[in-house]
Amino acid sequence: MWNCLLVVFVLITVVLMCAPFNAAAGPLDSSGAQKALVCSACHGFAGNSPGNTIPIIAGMAPNYFKKAIKDYAEGKRPSPEMEPYSKYVLQVGIDEIADYFAVQLRQPAKARLDSNAVKRGAALAAQCAACHGSNGEGDAFRTIPAIQGQPAGYLQVQLTILKENKRKLDDAAVEDAKKTMLKPMSDADLAGLAAYFSSLQSQ
Amino acid sequence: MKTLTRRDFLKASGMGVALLGSSGVSSFAAEAKRRVVVIGGGWGGATTAKYIRLSDSSIEVTLLEPNKEFISCPFSNLVLSGVESLKNLTMNYDGLRKHGVRIRHEAASAIEPDKKRVRVGKDSLEYDRLVLSPGIDFQWDQVEGLAQAKDTVLHAWKAGPQTVQLAKQLQSMKDGDVVVMTVPPVAYRCPPGPYERASLIAWYLQTKKPKSKLIVLDANKDIVSKTGLFKAVFKDYSNLDYRPSQKVEKIDVGAKEVTTETGDKVKYDVINLIPPQRAAAIAVEADLVGGDKRWCEVDHVTYESVKQKNIHVVGDSTIGLPVPKSGNVANAMGKICATAVVHLLNGKEPPVIAPGNTCYSWVNDKEAIAVVNSYKIENGKVVQIEQKLTPGKSVGTAQNSLAWRSSIWNDVLG
Repeated sequence: MWNCLLVVFVLITVVLMCAPFNAAAGPLDSSGAQKALVCSACHGFAGNSPGNTIPIIAGMAPNYFKKAIKDYAEGKRPSPEMEPYSKYVLQVGIDEIADYFAVQLRQPAKARLDSNAVKRGAALAAQCAACHGSNGEGDAFRTIPAIQGQPAGYLQVQLTILKENKRKLDDAAVEDAKKTMLKPMSDADLAGLAAYFSSLQSQ
Repeated sequence: MKTLTRRDFLKASGMGVALLGSSGVSSFAAEAKRRVVVIGGGWGGATTAKYIRLSDSSIEVTLLEPNKEFISCPFSNLVLSGVESLKNLTMNYDGLRKHGVRIRHEAASAIEPDKKRVRVGKDSLEYDRLVLSPGIDFQWDQVEGLAQAKDTVLHAWKAGPQTVQLAKQLQSMKDGDVVVMTVPPVAYRCPPGPYERASLIAWYLQTKKPKSKLIVLDANKDIVSKTGLFKAVFKDYSNLDYRPSQKVEKIDVGAKEVTTETGDKVKYDVINLIPPQRAAAIAVEADLVGGDKRWCEVDHVTYESVKQKNIHVVGDSTIGLPVPKSGNVANAMGKICATAVVHLLNGKEPPVIAPGNTCYSWVNDKEAIAVVNSYKIENGKVVQIEQKLTPGKSVGTAQNSLAWRSSIWNDVLG
C-alpha cells in the first residue's frame, strides 16, 4: 500500500514540478513568463497574437526567437516597434523569454482569408517550401522559421520588405535567392503567398 | 527488494511538500480568502483585475467601475474625423467575469486605509490589498469661466458621449467657421493625443470644410510628444494654426472667446477645451497625491503608494516614473502590479519587471506615426533603455496600430 501511495505522490510531485513550464500555468509562475508580460500587449497572451500584422511567437523555436531578437536589436530587421523591445529582451534575459514562448501552445491565426488569394499562393508556394517545408513548418535545426498559421498581414509585410531589400539575412546566397525569387512577383502574388501559408496548420 | 516503510513514505511526502512550496506562487494552504478591491475598470484597473485572477484564482477580486461598458480613448480622435465609430471602440466586461472578477457597476465613495476598506454608498468592502486605477479628473477652476460652462464646453478627453457631441459640432458647423482647441500644461493624459486630434480635425476640415481653420492654443512651449513627426505632419495642413506658449486662462461662452496667458483674445465658433488635469478625486481624498496635490507617487516595482501601505496605484494618476500616461503603459503597470500583489499576498518577494510603451497616432484617414519606449529597472527605479520613432507617417504604421489594438484590448479585457 505504501508503495502505491509513494508512486502517486511522486507522480503528483512530478506534475507540480512541470507546472511552471506548462502552457496552462499562470503567467506568474516562471521568471521567463514574468519578463514576457510586457510582450502580451502586442503579441497576445502567451504569444498568440490576434493582430493581423503581429507575428505569433507562441511555440517559436528558441534559436530562431533569439536570432530574430538580435536582428531587430542590430537593425538588420528594421522595426520601430521591435528595436526598443529587442533591447529590453537582451538586457533582462533572452534565454528565459525564448524558453517561455517556445513551450506555449501555438494557436494559428484566426483571421478569415480570401480563398482566391490562398489558391494563388498555393500555386507559387513550392519555391518557399524548399526551405520552409511543404507545410511551412520551418526547420528549427537550420534556424528557418515556421511560417504556417502566421497572420497573413505579418507574412505579407515580411515578403514585401524582403523583396524591397529592407530586411537583411545572414546568408548572402540565401538573400540573393530570395530576392531573385520575389522580384517577378506582384503585390497580389505576395498577398497570395501570405494567405496560403497563413492557412496552413501544423499536422 | 526493500519493503517501503511508513518512515520512507513520510520522508518522500515531505520532499513532495517542499517541492510544492517552490513550484509556483499559488498557495494551496487552507488560509482565509484573500481579497483585492480594484477601483476603476479602465486600461490599468481591468488589466490588474484580470491578471490577479489569471495568476492566483484563490484570490477574490472585486472591480468597482460605474460604467457598464469600456470605451477606448485610443482611436477616439478618429471618431472626430468621421473615420471611426464609437461603437467599434466600445466593449463589455464579460471577459473579466469569465476570469472570476466580481464586477460592481458602482463608484467607490471613499477609502478608509486604517480599516482597510472601501466605502461604496452605504456598503463597504474590506480588502487585503487595494489597487486604484482611477484615471484623471479635470481642474475646472484653472480656467476662469470654465466651471460654470463645463457642460457645454467640450473636452472629449474621456471617450464617450462628449466624443460624439464634438464630432457632431464639427459636422454641423458652417464652412468657414473657426475651430479652437487647447492643449493643457503637462502632465496630462496621453501626451501626443492633442496633436493627433489637431491633425485629424485639420484633415477633416481640409476634406469637408475647406474654408475653415483650426487654431491650436498650446499651454506648453512646444509639441510635447513625437515633436519632429508632428511638426512635419502639421506642414501638410495649411488650415492649422499652431500657437505654442498660449495657456488659456479664461473662457467667455457668451462672446465665444478665450483669453490666453499673454492676453491674446481668440474667437471661436467651435471650442474644444482640454482642461488641466490631476489624479481622480478618490485618490486625492485618500491622501495618495504628493506635494503637487495632483498625482500619486508609487514604488516602481510594486506600484504600492509611497504614502499609504497596502494601496497600489496604476495608470494615468501616477507620477515619478519616466513613462507617459498612455493606455499601453497602464496595461503594463496593471500586469506588473497584479504580479506584485499576488506575490505579496502569498508572502513572496515580488519580481522586478519593467513596463513598456507602444504609442500610435493617426495623422489623417489612413496614415499613422508611432513612438516606442522600452525600460528596465535599475536600483529599484524604472529607467529607459531606448526610445524609437517611426521615420515618418505611413499606412504600414496605421495597420500596425490596428493589430496593436486588437491585441491589447484582448489583453485588458479578454
